[in-house]
Amino acid sequence: MSNFVARINAELKGDKAIWAILVLLAIISLLGVYSATGTLAYRATGGNTEWFLLKQGLILFFGLMLTYICHLVHYTRYSAWAPYAMAAVIPLLVLTLAMGTEINDARRWLELPYLGLTFQTSDLAKLALVVYVARAISSKQDYIDDWKSAFLPIIVPVLIICGLIAPADLSTAALLFLTSMGMMFVGRVALKYIGSLIVGGLIVFAFLYILGDMFPDAIRVDTWSSRIKDFMGGEQREIYHQAVQSKIAIANGGWFGQGPGNSIQRYYLPSPHTDYIYAIICEEYGAIGGTLLVALYVFLFFRVTRLVTKSPKAFGAMMAMGLTILLVFQAMINMAVAVDLVPVTGLTLPMVSSGGSSLVFTAIAFGAILSVSKYIESTT
Amino acid sequence: MEIKNEVLYRVYFLLGLFVVPAALTLVYRTFQIGVIQQDKWKGMIREAKHIQEREIEAERGSIMANDGSLLATSVPIFDLFFDPQAPSDEDFNEHVDSLAYCLATYVDNSFTVGAMRDHLIKLRTDSTYNKSRNVPIKRKVLYAEKQRIEEFPLFNLGQFRGGLIARKRSERRRPFGLLARRTIGYIREEAKPIGLEGKFDQVLGGEPGKELTMFLVDPKHDLWKPQNNLTAIEPRNGDDVVTTIDINIQDIAEDALLRAMERHDAEWGTVVVMEVNTGAIKAIANIGRESDGWYESYNYAIGNATEPGSTFKLASMMAMLEDGYISLEDSVDIEHGKTTFYDEELEDSSPLSATMDTISVRQAFEMSSNVGMAKLVNEHYGNKGLESAAHFIDRLREFNLNLPTGIELDGEASPFIKDPNDKDSQWSGTTLPWMAIGYELQITPLQMLTLYNAVANNGREMKPYLVSSIQRYGETVRTFPPTVIKRRIASKETIRQVKSLLEGVVERGTAYKLKSDQYNFAGKTGTAQINYRRGIRGNLVGGYQASFAGYFPAENPVYSCVVVINKPRQGGYYGGDVAGPVFREIADQCFDALMELHPAINVGKKPPMAGWRLPNGSIGLKSDFFTIMKDLRIPFSGNPGTEMAVLQVAADTLSVQPRSVQANLMPNVVGMGLRDALYLCENSGITVKVNGFGKVIRQSLLPGTRANGQTVWLQLE
Repeated sequence: MSNFVARINAELKGDKAIWAILVLLAIISLLGVYSATGTLAYRATGGNTEWFLLKQGLILFFGLMLTYICHLVHYTRYSAWAPYAMAAVIPLLVLTLAMGTEINDARRWLELPYLGLTFQTSDLAKLALVVYVARAISSKQDYIDDWKSAFLPIIVPVLIICGLIAPADLSTAALLFLTSMGMMFVGRVALKYIGSLIVGGLIVFAFLYILGDMFPDAIRVDTWSSRIKDFMGGEQREIYHQAVQSKIAIANGGWFGQGPGNSIQRYYLPSPHTDYIYAIICEEYGAIGGTLLVALYVFLFFRVTRLVTKSPKAFGAMMAMGLTILLVFQAMINMAVAVDLVPVTGLTLPMVSSGGSSLVFTAIAFGAILSVSKYIESTT
Repeated sequence: MEIKNEVLYRVYFLLGLFVVPAALTLVYRTFQIGVIQQDKWKGMIREAKHIQEREIEAERGSIMANDGSLLATSVPIFDLFFDPQAPSDEDFNEHVDSLAYCLATYVDNSFTVGAMRDHLIKLRTDSTYNKSRNVPIKRKVLYAEKQRIEEFPLFNLGQFRGGLIARKRSERRRPFGLLARRTIGYIREEAKPIGLEGKFDQVLGGEPGKELTMFLVDPKHDLWKPQNNLTAIEPRNGDDVVTTIDINIQDIAEDALLRAMERHDAEWGTVVVMEVNTGAIKAIANIGRESDGWYESYNYAIGNATEPGSTFKLASMMAMLEDGYISLEDSVDIEHGKTTFYDEELEDSSPLSATMDTISVRQAFEMSSNVGMAKLVNEHYGNKGLESAAHFIDRLREFNLNLPTGIELDGEASPFIKDPNDKDSQWSGTTLPWMAIGYELQITPLQMLTLYNAVANNGREMKPYLVSSIQRYGETVRTFPPTVIKRRIASKETIRQVKSLLEGVVERGTAYKLKSDQYNFAGKTGTAQINYRRGIRGNLVGGYQASFAGYFPAENPVYSCVVVINKPRQGGYYGGDVAGPVFREIADQCFDALMELHPAINVGKKPPMAGWRLPNGSIGLKSDFFTIMKDLRIPFSGNPGTEMAVLQVAADTLSVQPRSVQANLMPNVVGMGLRDALYLCENSGITVKVNGFGKVIRQSLLPGTRANGQTVWLQLE
């Protein structure tokens, strides 16, 4: 046994705390998804719920393997790959918009030829963009305040990618935009530029809104507006409303929860295994369990902050920080939806929600962060 | 280094301004909802009806006849629906053809297979069908058929993949149709519970269980998933009620009553048959006229108190005998069948009375003289003021005629007996003489029968009852033994005397036409005028009510029976003509069924076998003859060496003679049965064609013809 632990210790380089967070999230994912997909599995497979457990288990295993492989890669490699990844992502996003598969009424998915698997192109785009922005910021540190040579090369790709994602998936686009701004803030981009971005972002949103009114088929404005109206009109909601059901789930959990597999609300929440998995976890493991989950993500942020101070190269710090901002922001937004603080977004809980491509790219992101961590460990 | 620090500060800024506050907000919000406002939100679980307490229906018990035959029982039935949206495209397309075939062939013949297929496809795709997810397949399907339909292609994939929805409910069935319908009764929503079903609802109904359930698919489908970890209370199934009703007697009674109703075009009629020494009701039939036929729609025997008429004279007689006022040999002047009390005229209904004046008390009773009975009662109880009249009423009360019988069913009418001490009861000078002959009082047929039954039972009054026990899963959990209402309603001597009077009614009185030479029975006819008092004042006479109450066999009564037929419109109206024959028919058939009352006819010497019946000249397989004759123990002689044999009868003995058959020659088969003839001919290779049936009387080939595959015609007769 001690041999086995030693072996793992030797194999897994980088911050063991981050590894631990990753594995804990994976376990929570397995428990949560298994519970939450109960009804779905019951209907789709005629009662064979184990199939979903197996599927999620396989995906998680595959994800962890990916993390392991990615953390072995020297992190500067990511910097080198970033431009190619960007070049590949843009046509893929265009393709998705043009002919992607609709799942849950949103055209965010691309079917992989011959494999029959679908993946969300925006997940790939997130990774590519964050790594690319990290590369751009770190390489331009010396003249970072310059508009033309520093700010534009950073912001233009961000705008292109976000612009391509926004029509089908405004939440992800906004998240990515927010992450990019966070990275720019950390990367010492002038505050006036960032401030103007916020203003610009609002203008773009307004513009899209008007455009969507004119071409309702292309842009999901009606969805956004209905979600926002829905959120604003909080008190008139009827009892079957998902936000109400989510609260019932959390309340049903109380302090310590109903115990694994005893969720009732999984039957009534529309996406218990993705959007509302936090509510299900709270129902089964209580507010205490929910708090621990929140703490895990905050802890991740702290651990990566340590990397920033130790990273000898700006790119490593920027990439790790960027990916962490992305994951933690996404997690916060997802959980905020479950506790009815923000309107429904459709963003998953990184590493915990079910869903193949989201999990896979989250795993890669962890791999990249650990790669930086591993390098720092090896140099200090 | 400076840059690094600046970056770090900025990260801390991000952490402190966004990440940590956001995390704290999330945690606060989680606790706010989950702990602080827990009751508010959790309360909504029930409000949203996610968890519902649902009743698990308990199986209703059966109502059984005394031999265990089911009079009313519950069977589970299913309504089958199809959800055309449930199957996947793949499953649907693969199975729709065969499903259409099965449905069109076995379930709904109004569709051809092709039309059914088109129909199924339309249900699934055509929006004009409203995309209903509950298309009825068949209603009221029994379990076996439901199982068969569940095996149909597509449906056999299960409810979620196949889309067949079966909803269970239970239905009350009466295996004997309308037999004793009103007495068995029913429970219906928004209707008063009736009969035994109503009275024993608690016993039959059991206790429903409770189950905490929740939505599984969606509320529209009303599909619930039981939650195993929440406590459920198992339902306790209803117990079975075993009645005293004998379906054979019930059937006889209903049949006889119905025919009388039709023959006399009457308004309503009722029959009750009671076991003398227990009070168990063996049959209770009620038939009423409705616009479109005869129905058992009201329990007249129990719920309808009417003026009984002459059957009540038994009570008057018993009262006078108990008081020792009269003896049967006393005489009474019936004034040629007509007298007056306080200017009110009283007539005998029998035309015979016109020729008579002074007759014995016995005669007055047996010929049912109204004048005689009224005068006797009036003489002994009416001439000493209200006090003596009250004494008469006290006598009636001693016979319990003022009390309901207390039978298990709801809605028993109470008797109405006037009280001279009660100013509200409209007691008058004519009340007593009219009461003597069964007017100015009301009593139900069952209450009247209870009195007759007590007389038949030598004065011991039994409580009529319908339910003998309660059973649970075939085990008796509670029995209801016979109940004695009163050990002795009158002295032995009185009972003996009235019994002889009742026998006399049949022997030579108003019911002499009904007399049977198989057995003796006793009883009293009744022919009551409806609204009699108003009738003689010149108002409308409301017709007659014919009745007969009695018991049989007279010497050792087993059953008592009352028959009441209201408003016969044709074929007579006298109790002896209308109700009496019904009584007689029931008594006949019951008597036939009472094995222990018949002397055995098979005791004594068996008659010797008649010679002419012995089978002479029969031809057949020897071993068959032996088997038959040994089995019938017919003595016989001879044991020929041949396979076939012929029987010969000489005097009274039977001998078996040889009958040789040679191979490859056409045998002589005349006199044989077809089986033996076929056996012999076909063994010789001859094809047999047959005409007629019986024994062979002619054969187309001569015996001894060499057989080489030709055809023989056999004529049978």
